[in-house]
Amino acid sequence: MLDIVVCFKWVVDEAFIRRTSSGDLDFSSVDYKISEYDRNAIEAAVRLREEYGGSVTAVIVGAPEAAKGVKDALSRGPDRAVFAEDPLFRDLDPSQTASVLGQVISSKTPFHLIICGEGSGDVYSQQTGPRLAEFLGIPCAAYVQRLTVKEEKVMADRKVEGFIEVDILPLPALVTVLPDIATPRIPGVKDTLMASKKAVIKVGKNELTAVPPPLLKTQSLKAARVERECEKFTAEAEGIKRFVAALQKRGVLK
Amino acid sequence: MAGVWVLGENREQLFELLSIGRSLADKYGTTLAAFAFQDTQAARDCIARGADRAVVLKYRGQEGPLDVFMPTIVEEVKGKDPDMLLIASTYRLKELAARIAERLKAGLCSDCIKLVFNEEEKSVEMERLMYGGSAVQKVVCLSRPAMATIPPGTFEKAEAGSGPGKEGDVDEIVQTNEPAVTMLERKVREREAKDIREARTVICVGRGFEKKEDIKLAEELATVLRGEIAGTRPVTEELHWLPESLCIGLSGIQVRPDLYIGLGVSGQIQHVTGLRDAKVICAVNRDANAPIFGVSDLGIVGDLYDVVPKLVDELKKGF
Ligand SMILES: Cc1cc2nc3c(=O)[nH]c(=O)nc-3n(C[C@H](O)[C@H](O)[C@H](O)COP(=O)(O)OP(=O)(O)OC[C@H]3O[C@@H](n4cnc5c(N)ncnc54)[C@H](O)[C@@H]3O)c2cc1C
Ligand SMILES: Nc1ncnc2c1ncn2[C@@H]1O[C@H](COP(=O)(O)O)[C@@H](O)[C@H]1O
Repeated sequence: MLDIVVCFKWVVDEAFIRRTSSGDLDFSSVDYKISEYDRNAIEAAVRLREEYGGSVTAVIVGAPEAAKGVKDALSRGPDRAVFAEDPLFRDLDPSQTASVLGQVISSKTPFHLIICGEGSGDVYSQQTGPRLAEFLGIPCAAYVQRLTVKEEKVMADRKVEGFIEVDILPLPALVTVLPDIATPRIPGVKDTLMASKKAVIKVGKNELTAVPPPLLKTQSLKAARVERECEKFTAEAEGIKRFVAALQKRGVLK
Repeated sequence: MAGVWVLGENREQLFELLSIGRSLADKYGTTLAAFAFQDTQAARDCIARGADRAVVLKYRGQEGPLDVFMPTIVEEVKGKDPDMLLIASTYRLKELAARIAERLKAGLCSDCIKLVFNEEEKSVEMERLMYGGSAVQKVVCLSRPAMATIPPGTFEKAEAGSGPGKEGDVDEIVQTNEPAVTMLERKVREREAKDIREARTVICVGRGFEKKEDIKLAEELATVLRGEIAGTRPVTEELHWLPESLCIGLSGIQVRPDLYIGLGVSGQIQHVTGLRDAKVICAVNRDANAPIFGVSDLGIVGDLYDVVPKLVDELKKGF
């Protein structure tokens, strides 16, 4: 039996971010999504439960609009969700997120294993997982590609430059996982219906001991932009010829 | 006490951090210290390249996960109160940095690509990418020490000064605690690829390829152009059709070739951010609305299985 907590974030879909003429970011037409690789993390958690028995609790720290994400996550197989909800939770730094996650996990859900994504789609700080492990005082392995559980221990293949390090962690432990850990399922209509019947435990800010002050301050956020010529050619013989000529003209065929 | 400290897994990373570390230490008006793992000679060479102090962190017995050094480093920081810690963004050190930061209740700027000293505030303004690379975020740490991880390759290596070699002591600190995590083995990855960060021509394989064998099409194009093969993240890290070290983008490497050609690459920002410094960006994609065409100089709208052989033939004519 393995009780698993999987942490997921509800993020802006960056493909919808526009750039204003002054170089600012325009969020007026953005949509939201479960952070890309957290879907893989959820899938990994659900498959471990299928293999070893136990439960999966999906945990999120977010603003009220993340309720949509909670439902999405539950349609992907977890048994229940814990939703730490407050408008303030829209913009936390990684140390604050880890603290809130740590407080709600330790008070609301017993666990053997915590799974986080490798990094979130918006901030991609890759800090929350290891910070959370440290907050809870449990061992951690980041960038894990394969997981096996054996008698109170987890074996993790983790990616390191040049080789794969196989580590043994005593449970309870935390891992952050790379996308190849598991390919996420596409929830069907039935899964979505099932999701609305699952328990969602909401935790408000006032139920926490404290939300610590931020340790990072954002001074500015500007659009980064690649300016390119955007010339298009057809796949006909003529198009290919013109394409090669264009390469030649730019002096990149040596 | 104070200081700017740098921490890297190997000599190259250490030397790169020493160059930015030296300039920040001078601005803080403080000293520069380098921390290496196991390699005493690397630590010694850091002195020649500008460090005022060097420390080598040593395992007590066999090598294991790097996190055994976490409490040791935290104690060192608490005792000596450095202004700033600069750490190479490798997989293991990114994790170690986050855990050290949590223990110290310090702010950490991940994958920092630019650091500017603010004279008035005596603080360092740090830039990093956000939203997959569509935005540049400028942050400051509200803590002491300030911390940053810096991707290898971001700064030039510090050189050894001319004239008589600078001398200095190397302190050795042996692991003090028992590891919580044990290492069972190190598996060498099947294929290691060569470093393509400086390649002049890069042909990138995207998910538009139907199967691994078809990559030979890209290889044929690479051969006529005398270029190197790379891949998007799905192709390298998820399907493992190509070595992971060939992944271009936010979580992979930055390339700066004269010519980049993406084949069946959709052009999501996380990938494109790794091409920012390419001179000419080209794409072959069958979807005329693929985002890659908006960030390319030259694009061919068409099926790569049709276009690539034609392109190879056309290029052969010209040589
Ligand atoms: C936090 C985070 C970090 C990431 N880091 C990276 C990174 O470092 N590098 C990276 O690459 N990605 C990264 N990604 C993933 C990125 O968002 C995209 O998913 C990925 O780049 C898409 O790869 P692709 O273009 O190969 O595949 P797809 O997006 O699936 O695109 C395939 C393209 O091929 C075209 N196509 C299909 N068949 C053909 C054909 N026969 N002929 C011609 N064209 C065809 C399609 O029209 C499509 O545009 C990251 C994502 C996240 C969330
Ligand atoms: N607000 C959040 N709620 C739940 N989990 C989170 C949150 N932010 C980050 N995480 C987890 O931490 C991982 C790394 O996030 P980051 O440190 O932002 O890159 C994500 O993949 C999630 O698993």
